[in-house]
Amino acid sequence: MTIRIWEGQSFNDPPPEPQREAPVTRRSFLRTSSAAVGGVAALAAALSPLRDLKEDDAVSIDKFLQKHYKEMTPKEMEAALARISADVEKRYNIRPDIRDIKPMAGVEFVYALNLSRCIGCRRCVHACVNENNQSRDPEIQYIRVVEMPRGTLDLEKGNHHYNRPTVPDAGHFYMPVQCHQCANPPCVKVCPVEATWKELDGIVVIDYDWCIGCRYCEAACPYWARRFNFTKPSVPADRLNPEMSYLSNRPRPKGVMEKCHFCLHRTRQGRLPACLEACPTGARKFGNVLDPDSEVSQILRTKRVFVLKEEVGTLPRFFYYFDERYPRSLDPQAESVAKSLGHAQPPAAAPAAPQEGHR
Amino acid sequence: MIDSAPQPHRPPPATRLGLPIGAIGPLFVVVAVWLSFWSPKVEVPHAGVATVSRDRFLPGARRQPIGDPPATNVGGFSHACNECHRLFDSPPVSRRTLMQHTAIVLNHGMNNQCFNCHDRKNREKLVLHDGTLLPFSEVPRLCSQCHGTVFRDWQKGMHGKTMGSWNAASGKQHRLSCNDCHDPHAPAYQGIIPLPAPNTLRMGNQEPAAEQEHRHMPLRQWSLPEMPEPELMGPVQPGPEPTTPAKEDHQ
Repeated sequence: MTIRIWEGQSFNDPPPEPQREAPVTRRSFLRTSSAAVGGVAALAAALSPLRDLKEDDAVSIDKFLQKHYKEMTPKEMEAALARISADVEKRYNIRPDIRDIKPMAGVEFVYALNLSRCIGCRRCVHACVNENNQSRDPEIQYIRVVEMPRGTLDLEKGNHHYNRPTVPDAGHFYMPVQCHQCANPPCVKVCPVEATWKELDGIVVIDYDWCIGCRYCEAACPYWARRFNFTKPSVPADRLNPEMSYLSNRPRPKGVMEKCHFCLHRTRQGRLPACLEACPTGARKFGNVLDPDSEVSQILRTKRVFVLKEEVGTLPRFFYYFDERYPRSLDPQAESVAKSLGHAQPPAAAPAAPQEGHR
Repeated sequence: MIDSAPQPHRPPPATRLGLPIGAIGPLFVVVAVWLSFWSPKVEVPHAGVATVSRDRFLPGARRQPIGDPPATNVGGFSHACNECHRLFDSPPVSRRTLMQHTAIVLNHGMNNQCFNCHDRKNREKLVLHDGTLLPFSEVPRLCSQCHGTVFRDWQKGMHGKTMGSWNAASGKQHRLSCNDCHDPHAPAYQGIIPLPAPNTLRMGNQEPAAEQEHRHMPLRQWSLPEMPEPELMGPVQPGPEPTTPAKEDHQ
């Protein structure tokens, strides 16, 4: 509209003087100033989440410039460990014993779990949380114990929220699921930044400082083994495990993935995983599959072994196996279980059923 | 001049909506200012810090087996077995209720005679079927007389629990004995209280119903507490429901 006013002028008039080019009218002033205020306010609104940042949310220069685990020289690793140690000490007031523990030569780890013995007591779950400094709130747990009705391996029928006065329940068996440390890991394939990879001893590890938190690996894992830190993990200082390693149980930052790593800070030094030590029934077995006399090698040779979701081709290092059991006809639970599953009656009880029918 | 010609019957466009167009700018300002100072207070119920006492998952043996040589507590003092048993001879076969050792519950299937395992004369020894005396520390050999396949597995580490190290060559490995886990008098494993279930939704402790089965949708419990259990989610397990129609057919 202002232009039109100027169009109305005759071209024969003397050229407009510089100071007359755009007189500030009341309307144009209001328009411009409201746009400016609105823009500033919108910018402030867009930046307002920054108000929630805490002091330690900012990434330090050292951490920002830290290289990938595989590219760090020993000296750089030393500096990274010193930085992490200082961070932990500042946050928890505990000086951790943090190291970078390399795989042992001639060792490939394998886990075997006896489904005949597992009673679903969840001791392993909480021992793992305690050992690996997992977040308590929100809860992050590497192991899920799935309660399954007897007679099926359909995980759709599983329930991990079971809460019984005592376990085991007669009609169920219990199947703990954790990272299977696949030899052909889909999580490693999908990682866009190579923050997760397979180590020489078969353990799939994560560099928590390299992970960008895209959660592709979580989606790729067929065993639901990976966990994401949506918030900064909270671990009570008095429960912090000071024995740490770079690739395993050091405190994780917010926004990265984590998962079971076969307690590599223990197992690479010859010890046993925390979940195994806590198991009250000895259902968990761990060892070196390259040693033909190890417990796991004997199990793989002689027991009835299976892997979960074999058809997806992940080649897990985590095996489930069964013991021999006494004949089903002698099993006091067999009849009720068979009935509940809608199967035919077991042979011992079979003669009774037709008689009832004839009556 | 043509454009600016007055159009008397048409109201100015800004007021057509009944709202002066100049009010939109300040409205945006107000909304933006409000957004920048308003923090959403979303109440997410959560369980708080779930701590499970460490002594709930201590590594090691599940029970304290009797020592070797064995001793028992009588009147608050520890006594060797033979302090009493060398004074009293025992009948060769006895099925009477014990007057002493009342804490012992014998529930070992058909193996219900004391002297199947204990030596009648020397109560600080165990006895094999062939009469060989055995110290209490060699319990697995005694048990292996009947539980052969389990003994075979145990020797190779396929049954029972190994502590110390996964590496047999390290020398730190030791295997728990039969009676580190099983009570020899009642060897069946007793049920134990499970540790808390995962709290996947941070919604406090989920309390599944007594006849809990297969909860695919934990959200259901939180958002729709009154919703009846859908058929598909219902118990796969027994229950009287599936059997009632069958009974009616028979009658």
